[in-house]
Amino acid sequence: MTAAEEVAVTIAIHTDKLTKDYGAGHGIFDLDLDVNEGEVFGYLGPNGAGKTTTIKLLMALSHATTGAASVFGLDADRDAVAIKKRVGYVPGELPQFGGWRGAEIVAYVAGLRGDIADADVEAIAKRLDLDLGRKYREYSHGNKQKLALLLAFGPKPDLLILDEPTSGLDPLHQQQFYGLVRDARARGATIFVSSHVLSEVEHICDRVGIVREGHLAMVGKLDELAGIRAHRVRIEFADTPPVERLRSLPGFESLTVDGHRASGMFRGSFDELIRALDGSRVVTLESREPTLEEVFLSYYAGSTE
Amino acid sequence: MTLFRLALQSHRTGAIATAAIGGFAGILNATAYVSIAGATPPDRAAFAHSMEIVGQQLTYLLPRPVQLDTMGGYLVWRDLSTIGIVYAVWAMLAATGAGRGDEEKGLTEAWLAAGVSRARWLLTRAGAFVAVATASLAISLVLTELGTVIAQDAVPASASAGELLPLLALTLWAFGAGLFVAQLTATRRVASVAAGIIVIAVFTLNSSLRAGADPGQARWLSPFYLFDRSTPLLADGSVDPLAIAVSLAVAGLLVALSVWAFLRRDVGGALIRGRMPSGRPRWGPSSDPLLRLPVLAGIDQQRGWIVGWAVAMAILGYFLSSLARTIVDGFKDIPAMQVYLQRAGISGYADVVGAIWFSTALLIMAIFVVAQVSSWAADDAEGRLETALAAGVSRPRVVVERIAVLLIGAGIVAGVSSVGVYVAARAFDIPVPADRLALATALVLPVVFALGAIGHALVGWRPRVAVALVAAVAVASYFVQEFAPLFDWPEWAGRASLFALYGTPMTKVDWAGAATLIVIGIAGTAVALAAMRRRDVGR
Repeated sequence: MTAAEEVAVTIAIHTDKLTKDYGAGHGIFDLDLDVNEGEVFGYLGPNGAGKTTTIKLLMALSHATTGAASVFGLDADRDAVAIKKRVGYVPGELPQFGGWRGAEIVAYVAGLRGDIADADVEAIAKRLDLDLGRKYREYSHGNKQKLALLLAFGPKPDLLILDEPTSGLDPLHQQQFYGLVRDARARGATIFVSSHVLSEVEHICDRVGIVREGHLAMVGKLDELAGIRAHRVRIEFADTPPVERLRSLPGFESLTVDGHRASGMFRGSFDELIRALDGSRVVTLESREPTLEEVFLSYYAGSTE
Repeated sequence: MTLFRLALQSHRTGAIATAAIGGFAGILNATAYVSIAGATPPDRAAFAHSMEIVGQQLTYLLPRPVQLDTMGGYLVWRDLSTIGIVYAVWAMLAATGAGRGDEEKGLTEAWLAAGVSRARWLLTRAGAFVAVATASLAISLVLTELGTVIAQDAVPASASAGELLPLLALTLWAFGAGLFVAQLTATRRVASVAAGIIVIAVFTLNSSLRAGADPGQARWLSPFYLFDRSTPLLADGSVDPLAIAVSLAVAGLLVALSVWAFLRRDVGGALIRGRMPSGRPRWGPSSDPLLRLPVLAGIDQQRGWIVGWAVAMAILGYFLSSLARTIVDGFKDIPAMQVYLQRAGISGYADVVGAIWFSTALLIMAIFVVAQVSSWAADDAEGRLETALAAGVSRPRVVVERIAVLLIGAGIVAGVSSVGVYVAARAFDIPVPADRLALATALVLPVVFALGAIGHALVGWRPRVAVALVAAVAVASYFVQEFAPLFDWPEWAGRASLFALYGTPMTKVDWAGAATLIVIGIAGTAVALAAMRRRDVGR
């Protein structure tokens, strides 16, 4: 087996300078990306970063301006039909099926694909608590999302391409989704999942790629994310905040002080933060996960300084 | 003001289309009148006498013919009543779009969330419609007046202007009905069907009155009756302010009821809604085997739609065919009509069945095609095409399956409607050969193929304008086919119509025309395949 053939059997998704230019800086540009077979790859980025554009190119729903993509060694555009027989897909925007019943939609898509077993449909519908007897227009957004998941996971494909798959799912069904991903991975499937929520990919992904403003900013293993992991922190003090101690605390960035309130982005151990607050009277301490854009702004602003 | 401007925009396409149809029909009817009725008083008197005999048989569709020896009388009979129907249908569709369609798109929710009150939302939509409908009707009437000037038989401008209010009142009545029905139902499709039934019911009420029945005071429920009461284009005609006031009052009441209903119902829900089914949940897919088969899945999804079209067309075919004998006998005494029939190649009763029925059937089948083209465009905009392609369906297969579904559906509709024609022919002793009727029915399919393929090519090129463009092709084809023999246009101009290429196969089969239609269909399909292959899919 040559080196090229070896690459062909181990790489599920390969892009080479893949570009879709919508003009005015919108789209995805010069994307070089490899996703290995059997891994769960998280594709992270803020809204409008180019995640869905990338996915539409991989699904041959859009045509590349320049560059190329391949899936399982097949050209994503030329061999689209053969590829899709091995792919399960959750679109970013859910389709509208009006007055169709869920059961009819499943039967229709099963007819198009030809590889969805009724038993698998029933198993996933039960797992997601999705009543297929109801009309699509009566489904909540979450139920529509469950149906999209059922259609993607039902055929047990070799590759799952999922665009923001947990959108609209409640926490309980998000856990069910994570379970579906784990099962798919256990049987050897590759999963390419886009998200703009950092904590979500931490649940399921082996590796992540981060895209911003149409460009791939970084690719790495999950633990490499720790370098950019951050929390937005807001602390309210009973008296004057200990500004100098906070400013000198490693990992505390973008500090702003407004009266008795101090806020900023913190990446690092909370033990150190709490130690830094020792001696000050803290009224409240809030910590929330920042948006990816906030992470980027603080991370990249910091790295260029 | 932004809300009002957007509301105006939402009615823009319909307003332009109705103004174009109304204006074009007005010009053609006005100029055609001089050709078919002649210019001298004796010619016109003979025309009026004969047409009034024919017109008695058409009262289910047109008003009682009066003063057909004048341009004004002819326009009232032949043009304005039909234009009234066109505007009523548009108003109904515009109302269901405003009352339910925008809700399905999430627009209503967005505006309400932005602080617009429900009453303001609906009243703004209604106000915008009044503005665009007035403008559209004014353009139609100005163009119709222009037609009478071109025909050198101008009617007084004040008389033409006098038609504005009656037409507007009829249009707003239909809008009010559509808006109210939209509050009672859960989807735009259901609302449109329900509003359509109401419009047909009040139209039929007036038709029964025209035919001699006496519905009593119930006649005032029909906006078409109220419209017929104003006849400013007739020599001794006038505008009936009471009828207009009643029509406008009903329209206002229906809008007020719509606001009342909208204030009480849930956004996205109907005022009247059934209880959710309480049975056990279903976990498995549908057992309908047709849903899993190529092409047949498409037919299965449209089964109700296709059956509805087939039944409606069969009934219409029966009625039109039943009139063939009366029409032929009535036209015998009109020299200009004899010339027209000769140019159109019509000599016997069966020929008239062919000419009248199939020219109407082609127009209705064109509407069927336009509706299909609209659904293809919606497949893309609403993500269903994306679902099919993601399931491993090739792009060429999508195009070929759609065309196949269209042809099968059209074949069913045309076939069933021809059964209605044949039954009527037998019942009224009109010798229509079954084999010839079957052939003429089959030859409808090349027209459907050509128009559908053009539509699909347009969908692949510009989905947003495809419906308007393919509708324009159909309307132009209809008018060219109707008026080419009337005005003795050169042959090449007549052949520019898809319908003209169909010819009159009940009299003589135009194989060259059929072959041309098939070539257009193949070329259109090829363009559609290329466009589908090249384009990006999605919203």
